[in-house]
Amino acid sequence: MSRRSKRKLSGEVNLGFQIAPMIDVVFVIMLYFMVMAGAVQVENAHNTKLPGTVATETDTPMPDEIAVRIEDDGQVYLNDDPLDTPEAKQLPEFTNNLKQLHDSSMASKSEVLVTIYANELARYERVVDVLDALSRAEISNVTFQAGSPE
Amino acid sequence: MAGGGGGGESGEPEFQIAPMIDVLLVLLIFFMSITSAEVLKVDKKITLPISAHAKKRDPEMSKHEIAINIRWDSKQNKSLLLVDDIAYPAISDLIPYLKERRAKDDKLRVVIRGDKLLPAIEVQRVMNLVGEGGIADISFAASNK
Repeated sequence: MSRRSKRKLSGEVNLGFQIAPMIDVVFVIMLYFMVMAGAVQVENAHNTKLPGTVATETDTPMPDEIAVRIEDDGQVYLNDDPLDTPEAKQLPEFTNNLKQLHDSSMASKSEVLVTIYANELARYERVVDVLDALSRAEISNVTFQAGSPE
Repeated sequence: MAGGGGGGESGEPEFQIAPMIDVLLVLLIFFMSITSAEVLKVDKKITLPISAHAKKRDPEMSKHEIAINIRWDSKQNKSLLLVDDIAYPAISDLIPYLKERRAKDDKLRVVIRGDKLLPAIEVQRVMNLVGEGGIADISFAASNK
């Protein structure tokens, strides 16, 4: 009788909640998420407005317009001046020029409007490089060449 | 040693399992939330261009956004437009859908998710399409790395 009750007791102990394996599992899950956190890709966005479609109630002052042209090979032109090489992803000269433009427009309290003219075969990646440079120069008034590209 | 945090009779502090589990679970939830924060309508066949300085997406606007995915097949030099997993081989078929969505939602924004190898003309075509659909607010999706 005493032997039976002893066996029952040991069975109850084995069925009890084990904390150590739970911590092991939680550690493994946490390590997984920690590793994945470093590789996570976040999707960001460049916001803009299409030209000529937004109705305004007040008169719009004519801003200083700046034309940015992107050639098929990736060469970027600021008002017909070639800046940087087609390989330069960060576009340092272009960004510095834009920063100066932004500063001078802030000083004269006028707005800068940048219009991007991308050639047909220019890569979209290059267009985004230009948008990235514009956001580095804190220019948010960006639009694209209007009309049909055909 | 009365009232000491887990102090035993001998004065040696004991290892407390319960607070450790609390901390572990908090860390676990933190890492889970940051890894799954950006689960978008991502098209795996599109490699987004990289732009480190693009703005973070506004969570307020997420319910007003409609994503236009533009794939690029470099072998056939052909693009394919997808909206809500429906392909539009003739892109002008998308205009009635955009107009319908615009009529329902004034704040509608179109997010253009184009492949980085896409020629600019394809993006230009989509922008014309969006304009014809009566939507002015557009944004270009880019990846942070």
